[in-house]
Formats: sequence, structure tokens, C-alpha cells
Amino acid sequence: MVSAESWIAVPVVVPLAAALLSFLVRRGSLFISLAAAIINVLAAAILVNQFFVSGPAQYAVGGWDPPLGISLRTDGPALIMLVLTGLTGVAISLYAWGYFSFRIDQPARAGRPEKQERFFWPLWMLQLTGLNGLFLSGDIFNIYVTLELIGVSAAGLAALSGKSASITAALRYLLVSLLGSMSYLLGVVFLYKTYGVLDLGLLQKMAGPTPGVIAALAVMSVGLLLKTAIFPMHFWLPPAHANALAPVSAILSGLVVKGSFFLLFRLWFDIFSPALPHTAFSLMGALGAGAILWGGIQALRQQRLKLLIAYSTISQLGYLLIAFPLAFTGGNSQTWSAVLFMASGHACAKIAMFMSAGTIMLHLGHDRIRELAGIRAYLPVTAFAYAAAGVNLMGLPPSGGFIGKWMMLIASLSTHQWLWALVLLAGSFLAVAYVFRVVEQLFVIPPDAPFIERHPRAGLLEWPALILALISLLMGLIAPYPLRLLDTGMAPQVVQVIGG
Amino acid sequence: MDSAMTIILTGFDLLLSATLLWLAWQLLRSTDIFKAIIFFICFGLLMAIAWVRMHAPDVALAEAAIGAGLTGPLFLAALRKMERKQKKERRFDPEEKRDNPDKRWQVRSREASPLMWIVAALTLCFAGLLIRTVWIIPRPLPGLAQQTAAHLGASGVDNAVTAVLLNFRGYDTMLEVMVLLLGAITIWSITHAPFPPRLPDTSPVQKSAVRLLLPLICLTGGYLVWQGAYQTGGAFQGGAVLSAALVLLLISDFLWLPDMHSLPLRMGMVLGPLVFLSMAVLGIITENALLRFPPEQAGAFLLFLEAACAISIGLSLAAFFAGGRPASDLREKPYQTDQPDTEKEGS
Repeated sequence: MVSAESWIAVPVVVPLAAALLSFLVRRGSLFISLAAAIINVLAAAILVNQFFVSGPAQYAVGGWDPPLGISLRTDGPALIMLVLTGLTGVAISLYAWGYFSFRIDQPARAGRPEKQERFFWPLWMLQLTGLNGLFLSGDIFNIYVTLELIGVSAAGLAALSGKSASITAALRYLLVSLLGSMSYLLGVVFLYKTYGVLDLGLLQKMAGPTPGVIAALAVMSVGLLLKTAIFPMHFWLPPAHANALAPVSAILSGLVVKGSFFLLFRLWFDIFSPALPHTAFSLMGALGAGAILWGGIQALRQQRLKLLIAYSTISQLGYLLIAFPLAFTGGNSQTWSAVLFMASGHACAKIAMFMSAGTIMLHLGHDRIRELAGIRAYLPVTAFAYAAAGVNLMGLPPSGGFIGKWMMLIASLSTHQWLWALVLLAGSFLAVAYVFRVVEQLFVIPPDAPFIERHPRAGLLEWPALILALISLLMGLIAPYPLRLLDTGMAPQVVQVIGG
Repeated sequence: MDSAMTIILTGFDLLLSATLLWLAWQLLRSTDIFKAIIFFICFGLLMAIAWVRMHAPDVALAEAAIGAGLTGPLFLAALRKMERKQKKERRFDPEEKRDNPDKRWQVRSREASPLMWIVAALTLCFAGLLIRTVWIIPRPLPGLAQQTAAHLGASGVDNAVTAVLLNFRGYDTMLEVMVLLLGAITIWSITHAPFPPRLPDTSPVQKSAVRLLLPLICLTGGYLVWQGAYQTGGAFQGGAVLSAALVLLLISDFLWLPDMHSLPLRMGMVLGPLVFLSMAVLGIITENALLRFPPEQAGAFLLFLEAACAISIGLSLAAFFAGGRPASDLREKPYQTDQPDTEKEGS
């Protein structure tokens, strides 16, 4: 009989099977992948339920306990990311369905959208496998393998549009991502040579400030910062994200960068927090501050909608790093909740924004910000989704972004770290400016606005974006539920560090 | 006697290391890409010997088959493609032809700029730091070798490397096999295999040699897979050898190759991963854990698994070399004159 514990394997196994099948049987690939995305959400819900009943779980793959074998594990942060990926995954799959049927109906070049669709599904399902595998894995080498899955499939997705600009950007993306993975792998070697184990739980018990650990963390962090596109290592992100197909941009900007960030978070706070000096945390905060300001200013200067959204991603990722010094110096576990709130709010909002931008681009044929006026007349849902997602980026209540920023502000003021508070505020003002640059265009209907026919399938393009935007907007109201996951989910050591 | 042997081996090791460094330097400073590729292949072969000296025959075999054997031809194929493209461009640009009569593809030889020196200095510092860190990690180095040896009996194979790869850490290997397939899918998604649009002019000697060699290579690949249970070998090595056979086919311009259908190829590429995944799920159903094999039949399970994976690995690696999906698969229609290609593309 299959035991209930085995549900933990479903988020990896099901998308993987869907990827193989949708590569093999092309005609049904859409429905295979959609079904897999839905099963994935159900599995995530069941895992959350199991977590509330019996607490963090560990699962030995192959029946071999660590250190010999690999373990999968669930805890609060992993489950939050899993649910987030599952929900947005279904929305992205639905959107991609609408997107490709639109493109196939009105192809710019016959045969090309079909090709893109056929290869989108296996690549996207492998991406989902990699992300779920990363969140659930309890083994640093296994995490490297999932990073490879994520990196290669992300590059493949980015190249899917077939334009030479996107292929160039995708190749650069691939090289950067491989460099990041190699750097991470070097760190894994150091850790294995120092402690002789690869399991995260065992490493957590052993870790101390030895030279091997410091060197390992340094190279791993640089690799992961590169993959997360943290300023000043962000150069590869805007061209890769802005030149990709709309569903792909949503995946890359909303989920992929969060994967490597999540790993960074795990390493710094869950596993190796006792081994790290204070200055390291301040350095991370400084990088974050740079990212917020630079990304925001660049977003203001862009003329194309998709580039603006891509630069906004760089800016928003900076917030996640500012939380490092805040959580370390006398902050509380709330700061950590704040980070996960920011990350999930941003994921939903950014995916909704790229979806809206894609819908607009499909209908108008361009994404020049100056010429967007009048969209509201025939795509009201899309215009509203964009604005609602923008509220989250600006950090107005009751969005997830507001809760996150509020918690961080409180933490920085109560520990007298005024500088971070100033950066947080400046970033919000920049966000207001770049969101309104677009929103003011969207909601104006000039008298001479051209009439554009809505596609019959436009519902599939508009509603997933709206639902995600509303989730990000109302996340503040459901805040207690995810927080409960975190309260029980933190490893005791972490609570001690950030609580005491 | 023993001490004489040690001295000879130490001398050999020193010579090997010096040659490796020299080859790496030659590779980097060569302006002719063709020459650099040859250096790269030599480097890979000597590196394989170095792995043998470090008592890692499995890594050595993989390095020889993939590092030197497959990557070298991949580079050469890429170079040929670049040259073909350059030739096409030159046809429109007769000026350049006069200036640069050398047919070979050249990298600009760069002057040593201050920036380069700074980067070099930083790299050296970084390397120094890494070496120092390795130096001060306390000895003896811990590891899992003892644990592996203790559980070897329950793994179904006698070779510790195969036991770790397929049984103890089979989950890693399952995902790695997927990464390889993912690479092939990505390459297929980008373009078609660029078969030159000309009549084959392969010499008859090459063709008959390929016909004679193919069965032998396949036999070797199969033997490596089977041997993996006892000593050095396994799916990756066997698959790499199989892919060598396919690469030979690809460069011999057999007429039926460009007309290959995509479905049988896809089936072959997916076979190994699918078998791996099914076995993983079978473990959940019968043994109550993902990827757990019943200890009595583990040996047979693993052999079946490796054979299926070797076929898929061979096909996927050959797909890397072919550089795209079959010519008839998912063709884009050419531009039509009455339907201009708008900026709508690639939103």
C-alpha cells in the first residue's frame, strides 16, 4: 500500500512524467501539462495539511537514510514556496494555453508558433520539476542537480521565441547560469571535504566558522547572487526576460530567480547562520540597496513595457537582500516572514504584469509605453490586473508588498538602522513613479483611439493575470495563514538566532 | 624495487602535470581556433590519464569519452559551421577576401591591456586563496567511502561507483539523465540539424570503415554497460561510446540520415528517462519508497535501467552533435510575399 509520506515525491515525479510525455506525444502536450500542474497544486495542499498535523517531515529516497542517501524534506519556507509555485504554475499554464492559441490563429510566420508551443510544454514542465525539487531537497549536491535543471530549461525557454536577440540573450543567460552553478558546486566540494556529508540537516548540526565553510559559503553565495541577478550582477536579466515570449517572461521573472534566492536564504539562515560574521550580512544589505535604487532608476528610463517590468524585477529583488542585515541584527522572526511575503507577493504581481504586457503586445503588436493609451477600452481586465499588481510593487495596503515592507521598516527603526529604512522608502517612491508611468497611459482613452478587435480566447489571457494580481493585492488580509506555516516551520536553531 | 617504482611514478606524475599546464597555456594563447581545439582534445586525453593516476577510473573513462571524444568533434562541427557562414558573408564582400586570404577562422590576437593584467592578478589571488583553504582543511578528509562499502551488499552490484550512482543516490542520477535530455530538447527547440545541401562526397573507404566499425562500437558500448555492475563502466560511459558510433554515422553523409523521422528518435531519447521514472514510481508502490529496489532483484533492475539509459544517453549526445531536430520535423513555412513579417513576432 502506498503510504501518505510518499506525497512528498509527487511535486517532482508528476511534472517530470508530464515533461517526458509531452515531448513524446506532442498533440496532447497541453492537457498533459495542465493536468500535471493541477495535480501539483493538490499535492502541495496535501503536504501543507500533513505539515499542520504532524510537523516537518523527512523522506529518505530509495530507503537509504542520510548521509548515504538523499532526503526530501518539508518545512514552512519550503511549503510556502511550493504552494506559490503550484498556484502560479496553474495560472501560467492556462495563460500559455490562451497565448499560444492566439499566436497560432494569427501567426506572423506560419509554423513558428506551433513549434514554440510544442517545445514550451516539456521545457516548462522540466522547469517546474527543477523548482519543486529545489524546494523539497535536503541534500546540497542534489540541489546542484536541480539548479542545473532550472538553469538549462530557463535558457531553453528564453530562446524559444527564435529571434536572434532572444537567442543571444538566452545564450548569455545560459553561460551566466552555468557559471553560477559551477561556483555553487565548488562550494559543495569544500563542504564535503570538510564534513564528509552532503545532507543539509547533518551539516546544520556540524557547521562552525571553519575556513572550509567560509570559503564554501563565499563561492556558493556569489554563484547564487549571479543567478538571482542581484545588482551589480544583473546585466544578463533585462535582455533575457524582455525578449522572451510572454509566458516565459512570467516564469523567468516570477519563479526562476526566486529559486536561487530561496537557496541563498536556506544556506544563510537555516544551515550556516552560526558560521557567518556580521559584516557579511551588511554586505548583502548594501547589494540590496544598490539593486533597489539602480533597478528603480533604470525602470524609469525605459521606453518599452517589458524592459520596464524586467528592471522592476531587479529593483524588487533588492528588498529581499535588505532583509539580511535586518534579520541578523536584533530583528525578529517577523523579518523572515517579511522576506517570504515580499518574495511571494512579488512573484504573483510580476507574473501578472508580464502576462498583462504579453496580452497588450498580442493585441497591439508592440509595447511602446508612449503608445499604450486606450487599452482599457477593449482590455479592461488586463488594465486592471496591471494596476492591481502595481499596487503590490508600490507597497500600498493591503498587498503582500505592504506587509513585507512594513515589517522591514519596523525592524529597521526598532534596531536604529535608519539607512535601510531610507532605502526602503526611496525604493517605494521609485516604484510609484514607474508604475504610474504605465498606468496613466492604460487608463486614458484618447478620442482617436484605434479600435482593436478582441480575440475570442482573450479570456484565457486576461483572467489568470487578474487572479494572480488580486492574490498579491489581498495577500495582506490572509497574512495569518502563511505565518502559521512559518511559526511551526522554522528549525529551532533559526528561531533562536533571529529571536534572541 | 618499490622505491624505484615510486620514483618513476612520481616523475611521470610531474611530467603529466607539467604537460597539462603547458597544453592549457598553448590552448589559451593560440589565435587559431582549429589549433586550440586540437590542444583541447589532447588536454582531455591526458586529463583522463591523470584521473587514472588519481585512482578514479570511472571519471577517466567519462573524461576520455565525453571530455575529449565528444566535445572535440562538437567544437570542430561548430567551427565548420562558423567557417561556412563566414564564406557566405565573404561572397557579398569581396574586399575582405583580398585582405584576409587565410581560410581559417582566427581570433583577434589581443594586446595585453591593463584590464587584462588586473583580471589575471585577481584570478591568481583567488586561486591562491582556494589553494590555501584546501591546504588548511584538517586531515584526514572525512567521506562516505566506509558507509558505501558497508551497504554495498544490499545494492545489487559489486562496483561501489555504480552502487552510489544508481542505488544510494539514484535520485540524483535520475535528474541528471533528465538534464541531458533537457539539453537535447533545448537544441531541438532552436533549430533543425544543418545537413549540408549537397551530394555526399564521402570516400568509399570511410563508408566501408564506418560499416565495419559500427557493430564493434555498439558491442563495446553494450559491454561497458554490462561491466558497470562489476568494475569501471556504466550507462554514461556506454552511452558515450554509442554516441560515438552515431557521430561516425552523421559525418559519413549517409543519404537516409537527413530524412530521419522525429518520432522514433524521440522514443529512443525518452526511453531511458521514462524507464527510470517508472522504476522510481514502482518503488513507491511495491517497496514504499521512491526509487527503492528489492535487494534480491536489485542487480537485474539496475542492469535493465542502465541499458535503457545508455540508449537514451547515446541518442541525446548524438543529438548535441547533429545540432538540431530532424529536417522534416515542425518546419516553419517560408515567408510569403503578400504577408509581411510584422513586429508582432516574439512578444
